[in-house]
Amino acid sequence: MISAVTPRPDAPRVARWFHALADEARVNIVEMLSHKERCVCELEQVLGIAQSRLSFHLKVLKDAGLIADRKEGRWMFYALERETLDQIAAYTKSVKPGKHAGSCAVACCD
Amino acid sequence: MTRRAELRVGKLFLRNPHGLPRPPHPLPMDMARVAQWFHAASDITRLAMLEFLSQRERCVSELRDVLGVPQSTASFHLKVLRESGLVRQRREGRWKYYSLRGETLNYMIAFTRIVSPGAHVGTCPLSCCQ
Repeated sequence: MISAVTPRPDAPRVARWFHALADEARVNIVEMLSHKERCVCELEQVLGIAQSRLSFHLKVLKDAGLIADRKEGRWMFYALERETLDQIAAYTKSVKPGKHAGSCAVACCD
Repeated sequence: MTRRAELRVGKLFLRNPHGLPRPPHPLPMDMARVAQWFHAASDITRLAMLEFLSQRERCVSELRDVLGVPQSTASFHLKVLRESGLVRQRREGRWKYYSLRGETLNYMIAFTRIVSPGAHVGTCPLSCCQ
């Protein structure tokens, strides 16, 4: 019997990042925000999603730390958070095959 | 033409077959595929599997024992990972071995780079990117 893997303490946060990008509509929102910050009206128009659904998707993205919002007058503007995207890339890099090898003292990594 | 019929025709022209109209200039990536990669990594058990498989290839019984989940659960999660292209399967005698597909992880990293704010500046001819 191999000893059980202890889950990393930040696993729920990592899972939330990936969950935020696990929907085609949210990937499209992220793509649109990569050009510049957008108001909710622009997103609604281009993506053709009803405002209630759009608000739900924006909340999922915001809770995961992928976007930040800013209020200007009547409108909310949304922008991508570069740091979170960098953290997602860094995590994905860290699980690439062979990354663990050589740095690990446990016999499982021979 | 009735109002209802007009709406129906309007919807036909506005939307693509997947139910979403295209953004102004979409990425050279299939968004449904991108969502599938990230969906595969959006579960704590599957994240633990990815980390364990990053060491070397494993058989399903090793994954089951290490993660402390029933074999059926391990098989289900492996199926999701395999269908998204994150994990490949190799058969050797009675056993099936699973290993990570580095190229899919590279695509995921590439996606985060492409959508990083400012990545379009100077390369995009459309006024939306100024």
